[in-house]
Amino acid sequence: MNVISRGVRGALRSPIRAGAIVIMLAISIGLIIAMLAAKAGVEVRISEVKANAATGITVAPAGIRGFAGGGDPLSAEQVATIKGTEHVASVASTLTDQLGTDDTNLTPSLELGSFGQRQQRFESSSGSGAEMTPPAMTGSAATGDAMRQAPTPRTTVTGTTDPDSVATNGGELTLASGKAIDAGGAENVALIGKTLAEKNDLQPDDTFTMYGQTFTVNGIFSTDNAFQDSGVIVPLTTLQTLTEQAGAVTSATVTVDSSDNVAAVVSSLKDSLGDKADITSEQERAESSVSSLSSISGLATTGVIGATVAAAVIVLLMMTMIVRERRREIGVIKAIGGTNAKVITQFVTEALTLTVIGGIIGIGLGIAVSGSITEGLVQNQQNSAATNRQAGPGGMGGPALIRGAQQGIQNVTGTVSPAVIGGGIGLTLLIAIVGSAVPAWLIARVRPAEVLRSE
Amino acid sequence: MSINVNNLTKTFHAAGGEVRALDDISFSVKTGEFVSIIGKSGSGKSTLLAQLGALDQPTKGEILVDGQDITKLSGRKQTTYRSKKIGFVFQQYNLIPNLSALENVMLGLEFGGAPASERKDRSFELLEMVGIDADQARRKPGKLSGGQQQRVSIARALGNDPAFLLADEPTGNLDSETGAAIFTLLHDLSRERQTTIIVVTHDLDIAGKTDRTYTLKDGKLLTK
Ligand SMILES: Nc1ncnc2c1ncn2[C@@H]1O[C@H](COP(=O)(O)OP(=O)(O)O)[C@@H](O)[C@H]1O
Ligand SMILES: [Mg+2]
Repeated sequence: MNVISRGVRGALRSPIRAGAIVIMLAISIGLIIAMLAAKAGVEVRISEVKANAATGITVAPAGIRGFAGGGDPLSAEQVATIKGTEHVASVASTLTDQLGTDDTNLTPSLELGSFGQRQQRFESSSGSGAEMTPPAMTGSAATGDAMRQAPTPRTTVTGTTDPDSVATNGGELTLASGKAIDAGGAENVALIGKTLAEKNDLQPDDTFTMYGQTFTVNGIFSTDNAFQDSGVIVPLTTLQTLTEQAGAVTSATVTVDSSDNVAAVVSSLKDSLGDKADITSEQERAESSVSSLSSISGLATTGVIGATVAAAVIVLLMMTMIVRERRREIGVIKAIGGTNAKVITQFVTEALTLTVIGGIIGIGLGIAVSGSITEGLVQNQQNSAATNRQAGPGGMGGPALIRGAQQGIQNVTGTVSPAVIGGGIGLTLLIAIVGSAVPAWLIARVRPAEVLRSE
Repeated sequence: MSINVNNLTKTFHAAGGEVRALDDISFSVKTGEFVSIIGKSGSGKSTLLAQLGALDQPTKGEILVDGQDITKLSGRKQTTYRSKKIGFVFQQYNLIPNLSALENVMLGLEFGGAPASERKDRSFELLEMVGIDADQARRKPGKLSGGQQQRVSIARALGNDPAFLLADEPTGNLDSETGAAIFTLLHDLSRERQTTIIVVTHDLDIAGKTDRTYTLKDGKLLTK
């Protein structure tokens, strides 16, 4: 029977009250653990996104954005300049073109919709002949009150030295079937987007015609992006030759040897390419794309702080209540020769006992709910991010990365690592200590002479 | 052990102004003496005991215990003085409610520095001496009668062989028969163990049986 066991026994003296306090503490500590887990999960994802994006730079010809705008593509010399820049590890070059119905036997799989129709209204007014009229529109066109014929959707063909640059997740392009193409070569081989392949009933090894030539389907790819899945990928040189744009490139994705050199490469590219090109580093863009992840992390931090403060206040109130109730007992212990240190140790032990029991239950609780809490936070964030998200033109390498980050949010899972548990235990002890400090001060102030007063 | 109190004064600053609870008191108690202090409610009896037991700091004067002025001791030394040299018995018994009778006695021994291995046996002996059997010793105070609780508190007070025992109205909450029994117990202990006892009481019957009686009136000591 020492001061510690007296403290433990004192804590359990009134089981109903002890139970209520333990439950409140367990909920707070459970929240702390769940929030720490969510934060850890999000931070792992942030560093992944940053690591992926850390060394990428996109070079696009000035004035060109998707298929909109004007200007000249990058020339072979410019691409050579980029490749020759110090610290550049590799360059993936891309040229895009759109296939009219004249150019291919493929049926486009994109529905234009009202947005697409509006974007193409300028071209269609000068369109000539029946090829521009989709079959479904023939009837209404015949009534004659249409000022112009409705436009057709087009199929996008991407010539690239690196098909992975089309992937929307920032990683490798996923092939649903078939095999890759030699993107460095100049053969008439192609990768077909899933949707386009379904529309035209194409399988690997089938053939189709494009620019008057026969192409072999090497593989079918799929992304999570409807626009990309309606496109065709061919080797860069093949597209350059067929479209008579030798050496031309509409987007170059530069990989820098180390993330530390990104800024240097950006500035030397700006020097050498001047106003002919728009240069954006993915590092900068990744910063903004991880901002939604960061805000989840911030939310979780706020949650951790809030729950810690709440739990500390619970301990503080409970201890203050106990000290006030047992003022006479404290006085008696002092009167019969107990030191301040002994009384304080006993009462802090009482607080610690309840906090530790609450902590153990809370950690279990936290582990159990961390999954759904992380999911809830992420869901919430996605909803608000979706309303803020701008619908930028697709088709270029850049936006794929942002989509990658947003897709990254969906896969965030709460991580209950030893560090999270350790953090939870540390905060729990902090709660007990902070929550006991004021009552300890109150205990020290109890005058032993009070026990002689009979009221 | 002897006590010499010289010119002891204690004033309180209460809401209604200054209260002079003890007013220039001087007296002495010899070793083994059984002294009673009587006086009306509010005359300063408890205040005097608090000063003697170093529970409080007097405003003026000195209390010499074997020549040493306890009012000049540091807080830590006063705690040691309380634990080793003093035994307290209170009107409301003041046992710790969630400890058994035995554990209450052991608590006093712990503060007095008795080795952990001896505390339990010694506590049983002390309880037996005051008339509490082993079965009663294991009960919580709430499961004991007032007289039994006061016996436990006397056992707790005597645990460390204190130089003197201070008792503030130890029979005040007991019926006269039980009160008489408790008084007899204190009386016998003072004879057997040569313990100096200062007891505050209302009961003139009890006071009449002690070696000497001091009377307090409005903080002043009346010698008769
Ligand atoms: N802590 C205190 N603060 C203010 N006044 C006090 C305090 N303790 C005692 N007193 C006053 O001192 C006087 C003596 O009190 P006390 O020693 O308790 O009397 P008794 O024990 O003889 O009934 C009373 O007037 C009481 O109100
Ligand atoms: Mg009194």
